[in-house]
Amino acid sequence: MTDNILEVRNLTKRFPIKGGIFGREVGAVKAVNDVSFSIKRGETLGLVGESGCGKTTLGRSLLRLIEPTAGEIIFNGQNIVDLNATHMREMRRKMQIIFQDPYASLNPRMTIGGILAEPMEIHNLFPGKEERRNRLYQLLDQVQLPKDTLNKYPHEFSGGQRQRICIARALAVEPEFIVCDEPVSALDVSVQAQVVNLLMDLQKDLGLTYLFIAHDLKVVEYISSRVAVMYLGNVIEVAESHELYGGARHPYTKALFSAIPKPNPNVHMDRILLEGDIPSPMNPPSGCHFHPRCWNATDKCREVYPEITNESETHQYKCHNPIRLN
Amino acid sequence: MAEKILEVKDLVVEFRTDRGTITAVNGVNFEVFKGQTLGIVGESGSGKSVTALSIMRLIPNPPGRVAGGEILYRGQNVLDIPLDEMRSIRGNKIAMIFQEPMTSLNPVFTVGNQIEEVLELHQKELSKQQRTEKAIEMLKLVGIPSPEKRVHEYPHQLSGGMRQRVMIAMSLACEPDILIADEPTTALDVTIQAQILELMKKLQTEMGMGIIMITHDLGVVAETCDDVAVMYCGQIVEQSDVKTLFGHPRHPYTKGLIESIPSFDSTTGGAKGRLPTIEGMVPSLFDLPSGCNFQNRCAHVTEKCRGPHGEPKLEPVSKGQMVRCFHPLS
Repeated sequence: MTDNILEVRNLTKRFPIKGGIFGREVGAVKAVNDVSFSIKRGETLGLVGESGCGKTTLGRSLLRLIEPTAGEIIFNGQNIVDLNATHMREMRRKMQIIFQDPYASLNPRMTIGGILAEPMEIHNLFPGKEERRNRLYQLLDQVQLPKDTLNKYPHEFSGGQRQRICIARALAVEPEFIVCDEPVSALDVSVQAQVVNLLMDLQKDLGLTYLFIAHDLKVVEYISSRVAVMYLGNVIEVAESHELYGGARHPYTKALFSAIPKPNPNVHMDRILLEGDIPSPMNPPSGCHFHPRCWNATDKCREVYPEITNESETHQYKCHNPIRLN
Repeated sequence: MAEKILEVKDLVVEFRTDRGTITAVNGVNFEVFKGQTLGIVGESGSGKSVTALSIMRLIPNPPGRVAGGEILYRGQNVLDIPLDEMRSIRGNKIAMIFQEPMTSLNPVFTVGNQIEEVLELHQKELSKQQRTEKAIEMLKLVGIPSPEKRVHEYPHQLSGGMRQRVMIAMSLACEPDILIADEPTTALDVTIQAQILELMKKLQTEMGMGIIMITHDLGVVAETCDDVAVMYCGQIVEQSDVKTLFGHPRHPYTKGLIESIPSFDSTTGGAKGRLPTIEGMVPSLFDLPSGCNFQNRCAHVTEKCRGPHGEPKLEPVSKGQMVRCFHPLS
């Protein structure tokens, strides 16, 4: 038995589109479409993709902040999709989330002490006054903020510091699994590196498991042990992070990596320029969703949606004409 | 040697606020040459956008004010010329692309209208018919498929990448000498970013304009720029050609910035070491330290940096490379 903290099977989220005078359902956006993957205890799974591909919806569905339409989410051996609200709340103690925007995700009228204590109150942890205070100090210490932070308000902090506070809030209930939804995207480069290091240190010290969602491939590749690539609601390739760069089999993955500007003016790699835009998830193309932008597309790609191919135990992709590796 | 089209000399821009006056840009100098790209990099609040806006004379006054310096466009100081004359330069000779393609287009006019408006203001000799034709031609130039149809569409009908293409089409409609691109691809996805950067490069080769590329992404700088100026707290701390800057950064801030970008070069996979970082954070412009602005974050800081001898000057360290540091890295 492998020690998977989380297993996702055929997870689907449809958002209905209502139209007409009677508000009938006229269609649906399949934001997440039949996605399956697993995360091992203590690892970081990176999730990348362009805007609108469904990565945030997927991340939030895992905590049932968005109710999935179909599929199973097995956390610590238990399917959490059918849990009632009380049990789900209990379960969320073990699953936390850090949001992208550290400016919008802290209540401006609460002190940092209040913000950090709230999750502990809800879950009735560290009840004694002394105990609670020590726990708050410990949290601040873990995210490297000074003790006088507790009595201040969010507006007194910079973006990087606020993101540290958000991390401390997620840690307050001693979770095992944290969904990091673009935690560094809103930060400046030099601060971004500090927060990435902090997340990696915390993982080592507390044995955390992360789902790390980002559109910045460099950061994802750096922090993750495995990476899943999404396109229009589907996970199209999963591989060890060092395999993915250079060893990608799906043309989209290859194009995505080649599109990143390299901070080295002496290296000029062959860039694959994708034609066109990402299609609307309301009306995805037939067959393989990527075929209108793919340079390898054949008639089969236009008609048949590709099944999962197992390249190795750690590397899966969905493509009829994968890139040949030499 | 390429022709020099823009020269910024000792530019100082101040903003008056409730808490006192801050100097957002403090003594900036640079030159832009025909057919070349100058990159201005820096983190939020470093003064890169304010520099760009002052070239266009778009600093809101009050609270902002260009407090000193000269901006010479082909030898003429744009800060001195009357506003109505400025209009014939702005948009016509010096054009700008803004960061947010979502908010910089007017939602109640078709994209065709908006491109035509530029032509109406600056190329009065064109007839209505010619303007529409030119708008379609511009949309075709920036690679928008079926431009005859798109010209009648509204911004909300276009994707982010398409809107940014429309912005580029608008700014290039009058064939400007200088294009100021303020974070032109920050709001876009990487595959779309690659398309836009490629497009800008192609148009530059065809039209020969000088580009000022303002960005926080060193990857974009490395790929598109010929020269780079690194800004920190309103000042240029390092300036050189792009290869020297990435090959031999001499200011500790530049070096820190370059190193803090995760790279794919590491082959270790999985468990990687810590990312090198720049400790601490950018000081508030209200409360700049005496001496070097970077002293509180610098690993090489000495007594001299803390201010007894004033602040460091931007001085040449090798041919074409200038650094503002008492102890430039070797």
